[in-house]
Amino acid sequence: MWGRTLQFLPTQKQREGLLPWVIGVMLFLCTLALVCGIALGSGLRNWSAGLTTNLTVQIVAEEADARAAQTDAALTLLRATPGIEAATVLAESDVLALLSPWLGDVPFDAGLPLPTLIDVQLTDPGAVHVEGLKARLIAAAPGAQLDDHQAWMSRVLDLASVVQMVLIGIVAMVVLSTVAIVIFGCRAGLATHRESIEIMHLMGAEDSMISRAFDERYLMHGLKGGMVGVLLAAGTLYFVVQLAREMGQGLITATLPEMTSLAWLALLPIFSAFITMFTARITVRRALLELM
Amino acid sequence: MITFENVGMRYDMGAEVLKDVSFSLDRGSFHFLVGPSGAGKTTLLKLLYLAHRPSRGLINYFGRDLMTLEREALPRLRRRIGVVFQDFRLFDHMSAFENVALPLRIQGAKKAQVADHVEELLSWVGLEDRMHARPATLSGGEKQRVAIARAIINKPDLLVADEPTGNVDPEMSKRLMHLFVALNREGTTTVVATHDVDLVKSIGAPVLKLKKGELTHVPGGTPVDPGA
Repeated sequence: MWGRTLQFLPTQKQREGLLPWVIGVMLFLCTLALVCGIALGSGLRNWSAGLTTNLTVQIVAEEADARAAQTDAALTLLRATPGIEAATVLAESDVLALLSPWLGDVPFDAGLPLPTLIDVQLTDPGAVHVEGLKARLIAAAPGAQLDDHQAWMSRVLDLASVVQMVLIGIVAMVVLSTVAIVIFGCRAGLATHRESIEIMHLMGAEDSMISRAFDERYLMHGLKGGMVGVLLAAGTLYFVVQLAREMGQGLITATLPEMTSLAWLALLPIFSAFITMFTARITVRRALLELM
Repeated sequence: MITFENVGMRYDMGAEVLKDVSFSLDRGSFHFLVGPSGAGKTTLLKLLYLAHRPSRGLINYFGRDLMTLEREALPRLRRRIGVVFQDFRLFDHMSAFENVALPLRIQGAKKAQVADHVEELLSWVGLEDRMHARPATLSGGEKQRVAIARAIINKPDLLVADEPTGNVDPEMSKRLMHLFVALNREGTTTVVATHDVDLVKSIGAPVLKLKKGELTHVPGGTPVDPGA
């Protein structure tokens, strides 16, 4: 009662009891979209950075002898090329394991014409001129195909960019919806307390003094709602991350955020509190201008 | 101190509820405002306590032209006016003490100063035992005294009261009027709107008569005889 703010609004007659919960739901959706967008971006960047230091050479030849000869020639060339750290032939069992999602468990001696795969590790992403290496490889081993994963990776990254834009759009829509809800709530509050506001006005209270009473109240609504939303979102994310870690490999786990890297979520309730407070302030001050 | 010149007032595009109203209130004067219902008394009071700007005419308020006064200057001006509403307009969730303290708190007075003044004034209006009571538990007369105490706590230059005796018995009505007269003696310019002809006669102060939005009787503003 005796603080800097002259709180003249009654506490009992609140019609804004649901507002923190609505803000909480909005913050929950906003947080999920935000975390997904950020995790998708940073995860894919890290994952693609790993792929750019990695090339795959595929030796395709019908005859096993010819394939072996071309594999030797390719390995010799690769190991002699500056910028290549290692070139390793994948075992046939590893090749079959890579094909298993499409072909199922194929017996080792099924007689399938499998290509030979060479995994090439570069010292750093720009260490080798890929087109030049491709030409030299074909000259040394005509059945060699060099894959630097760029075509596939660029499609994945394009898709990720689109998904990120959609998520940013969702965050923007949720924030705008929250602002609209606060404006409606605030107008309802103004109508409820119209007489009290008029009396304060007539006793000489300045607009800033009256709006501070609303500021304080809506700051608390935003803070409470923000905390509820972020806590729910953090719990949901923790559950999803644990589940995905148990299930996923490679791309899925690459995009999963570390829970410790999400400490910034703690700032969202403060952000929500200030957005709510400033929205209420602007709404109240505009309404007060209608009084003389 | 306050001058109205050819003031007219209409709400939105409606008919004029006040027409060419002209009068002046001298510092320390006491006036009754009388007239039948719908004559425009409440509108005139609203102009006096700065709830509205007039549609036309000139109002000079404490030496300042109200028509050209910027909005930001109005709160300071309003703090020089005390208003007693017919329906009290007390804050139900606050005690009598807190209600009376509001004008001082709006002015930024210190807590100790507020406590001293409010306790003294509530004692003066005979409510020393009801300071922490909520309006819902007060009688009509007690509410009216709280409303009066709130209106005069910051020693206003102008006190405006709308039917202050409308909701109280004749004995309380007489006591309240003596309260107004006592305030007027202290130098507060006072305007009291009332229907009570006996009350007007008993005090003997100048009367502003309104009929269909026009002032039909305009006396000179003079202080009330201290012996009244």
